[in-house]
Amino acid sequence: MIRHILQALGPWGPVLFGFGFLAPLIATLLKDGGITPPLGLTPIQFGLILGPALGLSAKLRGRWI
Amino acid sequence: MSIAEATTAPYSEMSDRELARAELTIARKYIGRFSWFMAVWGLGNLVCWLALWPLTLSGILPLWMAFPIATINVILCYLPSHEAQHTNFSTGGPALRWFNEFIGYVSTIPMVLPFKIARLTHMEHHSHTNDPELDPDYGVKADSWQQALLTAYKRRQPGQPNAYGETLNRLGDGPVVKRAGLEGAVQVLTFWAIISALAWSGHALEAAAIWWLPRYIGTFYISLYLSWAPHFPAPEQGRYRNTRHFTHPLGNILALGMEDHIIHHLHPAIPLDLNAAAYREMKPILDARGCRDERF
Repeated sequence: MIRHILQALGPWGPVLFGFGFLAPLIATLLKDGGITPPLGLTPIQFGLILGPALGLSAKLRGRWI
Repeated sequence: MSIAEATTAPYSEMSDRELARAELTIARKYIGRFSWFMAVWGLGNLVCWLALWPLTLSGILPLWMAFPIATINVILCYLPSHEAQHTNFSTGGPALRWFNEFIGYVSTIPMVLPFKIARLTHMEHHSHTNDPELDPDYGVKADSWQQALLTAYKRRQPGQPNAYGETLNRLGDGPVVKRAGLEGAVQVLTFWAIISALAWSGHALEAAAIWWLPRYIGTFYISLYLSWAPHFPAPEQGRYRNTRHFTHPLGNILALGMEDHIIHHLHPAIPLDLNAAAYREMKPILDARGCRDERF
């Protein structure tokens, strides 16, 4: 059961990581750095766009950088 | 007087059996001792890492100071578990088996390495050292330490094959393997759940500086010194040639004691802190065996 769940989620790991960890991390870095996100977005809104987008990019390209 | 000194015939003239006997006589002097050093190392390192959380969350310790400490904690956390993988904390008998397993499970919390998976795959590494198909650590093979770091980075990219997962699949579907896989999945998922919860509750920087980044950096260091350096360039198999003794320009401590890793492969029951002494005593025998003694 757990193995099936992991096999299904595994390929989406970078996106989940982008949502679960990168998004709030980006928001915190913006807030602490006094940086205003573009387009009138709040830091967490910006993080929720950029974090999963970076994850999706990593998933599709097979590398983070 | 050591065995080496007591032996009159030069080791180079000894038969295979005589060399094996002399080697085992030395090894037996070091096998079976309970290593307080490794036990204190394992638990002390964990306590230090755990203490970083309340110290930073309460503002007593700045994050810029906690980050390098946590990274060192991750770098140091593997080797006590490694002793436990070889049940070296309970060589005196089953009474200390619980302690051995305890150290094995808890010491690697900072690097999130599931103990049972580590043990199974590490035994495969010992059984098939430098075998391109069967050694789970063979993927670290590289022509230089810089290349080894690059290889370690590439192996951690999305979609790359997981050597430990592949090893578990190859080992079959028995209860031990199943249990290891289940425990590993629970531990890794728990890690991601915890750092996500920390991040979403306003502690993203603490989660990044104490766990996520140190884990990433620490595993690079461990991969370089514990997997790549002792087996470089990994061309040969066989008891006396698959692992080397090497001299590191910055010393054996920064190399995590891996200069004498050949002793570990020959006699895994010798605790890490006794490997150097065993190597010094065994060196003439290992030279006669044609073992490698090289520079980093």
